[in-house]
Amino acid sequence: MAKKQHYKHNNGAMYLMLSPYLLLLFFFGILPAIMGVLEIPKPSMANANGGWDAFKIVIHDFRFGPALRHVLGFMGIFVPLMIFFVIGMALMLDIKHSPWKKWLRMAYIVPASISGAVAVLVWYVILQPTLSPIKGVLRYFHITESSQIWQQQNLVYILAIMAFFAAAGNWILIQYGSLQSISTEVLEAARVDGASVWQTAIRIKLPLISKYIVYMSVLVFAGGLQIFVEPQLLNGGIYQGIADSWSFDQLSYNLAFMQGDFGGASALSILLLIPSLLGALLVIFKTDMFEGAQGHIKKKDVEIVGI
Amino acid sequence: MSTTQTDPKRKSLKKVGRVPASKMRHQHPFSTFLVTTWLVFFAILSLIPMIWLVLAPSKNDKELSYRSPYAFGSFKGYLNAWKHLKYFDNGVIGTWLFNSIWYTASIVIIATITAALAGFVISASNIRFKRTFLISTLIMMLVPPVALVIPLFVEMDKVHLVDNPWSVILISSLYPFGAFLAYIYYTTSIPAELYESARLDGCNDFKLFSKIALPLSTPLISLLAFFAFIGNWANYFMPYVMLPSSEHYTLPLGLGFLFLSTPAINPGVGATSVPIYKPEIALAGALIAVPIMIMFLVSQKRLIRGMLAGSIKE
Repeated sequence: MAKKQHYKHNNGAMYLMLSPYLLLLFFFGILPAIMGVLEIPKPSMANANGGWDAFKIVIHDFRFGPALRHVLGFMGIFVPLMIFFVIGMALMLDIKHSPWKKWLRMAYIVPASISGAVAVLVWYVILQPTLSPIKGVLRYFHITESSQIWQQQNLVYILAIMAFFAAAGNWILIQYGSLQSISTEVLEAARVDGASVWQTAIRIKLPLISKYIVYMSVLVFAGGLQIFVEPQLLNGGIYQGIADSWSFDQLSYNLAFMQGDFGGASALSILLLIPSLLGALLVIFKTDMFEGAQGHIKKKDVEIVGI
Repeated sequence: MSTTQTDPKRKSLKKVGRVPASKMRHQHPFSTFLVTTWLVFFAILSLIPMIWLVLAPSKNDKELSYRSPYAFGSFKGYLNAWKHLKYFDNGVIGTWLFNSIWYTASIVIIATITAALAGFVISASNIRFKRTFLISTLIMMLVPPVALVIPLFVEMDKVHLVDNPWSVILISSLYPFGAFLAYIYYTTSIPAELYESARLDGCNDFKLFSKIALPLSTPLISLLAFFAFIGNWANYFMPYVMLPSSEHYTLPLGLGFLFLSTPAINPGVGATSVPIYKPEIALAGALIAVPIMIMFLVSQKRLIRGMLAGSIKE
């Protein structure tokens, strides 16, 4: 009995230490997700009678189709570019180990510090023929006016390149790190069997780091889907009207704060949450990425979430 | 950080001057040259935007157009740009800088403490719903925080915290990635037997954390603080939604405000008496980007170890 009481007391202290995190998790993770769902059926200007038609109304909004095309176009460039380029660069860095390559890795990480508002400023300059640090390249392509570049149909490419430069360096380093986890014995065995650098990369290294590639893909996909800052600043601060409600998050923001339609904005947020959530569940339950947590994530949990 | 498992053979090879398998393989010199050239080319390309950003405030607006983008102006240029920025809205740039520092510092402190405690409890206790906490944490970690920004605004509005810095600080202090890192760290670096023997010696759970886990947590704390800093210093979306008043802006929000309200890069704004041009805007941008760059450069290993938590060998 005394032992039981002792354990109860211990767990009380443990709960107390866990409580600050749990409160944050509940109030800023779980509760807003519930509130977002509850907000959807409330009556608004767009959904006068209220109800779950909010989903239908937001999908039929005249800005939804263009936003979908923009985001799909952006993701169609950004996600594959990230995955193939990052993996390619990491594999190239891993071919031959030289001390001077640490300087290359340091250089690759520098653009990661240029994101959001700073990225908009820097890319405005890079693509401005009179100011650009790559004037020669722009001249080569006969670009003499910034208006030749800053056009609505070019935004998917410009934003994909901006996002790519902000994210690629970090991931090159991380995937390079994942390649370092491959045991020397495996690489030795491949060499003894006569595998070339290319064969080793494709047949040995890539399969061994596949879980990290899935992890990266899910995070890159989920992050890309939520693009907001860059088109919002371009639209409001530099080229007025060039990217109005360009992305889903901008549309969601405009629905909420320009039209007061929080139900529609929440419906859009929940729609966007679904692919991110599925991606998260894929990484957690279908890869052994979080192998440290394996002991605590059992088959039972997998069945609960229906995967 | 001891969350990583070291392959003993690799380590011993390192000591004696490791010769990687790939190095011993026959490689075509031309393809090696091509690969090296490409790697160097991309490194140079990666540095160009930052070089421009750091050098731009050393020149004045006219010099930016006619001098080389890679030319250095003068140190006085930085001082002039800062003076001009201070003319804007009675020196609000100082407020933005101060806000950025205190919001980020508060987030780093709260997030690091709560995440470290959560990771410790999940790893060292047998509390109920442990798996549920862990799975919720992993899901929250992989879902981008901006996905919930609209419902979070509705929630903050209900408790009258909109336009209050604590809305951003509290929301951003939820640090599921940090809690997961802490959990992995404590699980792999502190054996369960250590906790058991400390308990037998009469150590309660608070002391278990403060006397056993905390003294062994220096690498973890620096890792948690690093990720909390880089995730929040340049954050734009959450403060943009939660803090409409310019006196509550952070530097990134302030930079966006400068785009909008000065003719520096916005042709839609007519001439103003405030001397805010491209060098001034670039200085504001450098104040945001350079601290993150420094953190990245000095913490490369932390980035890799953190993102591949627990599953990487060196």
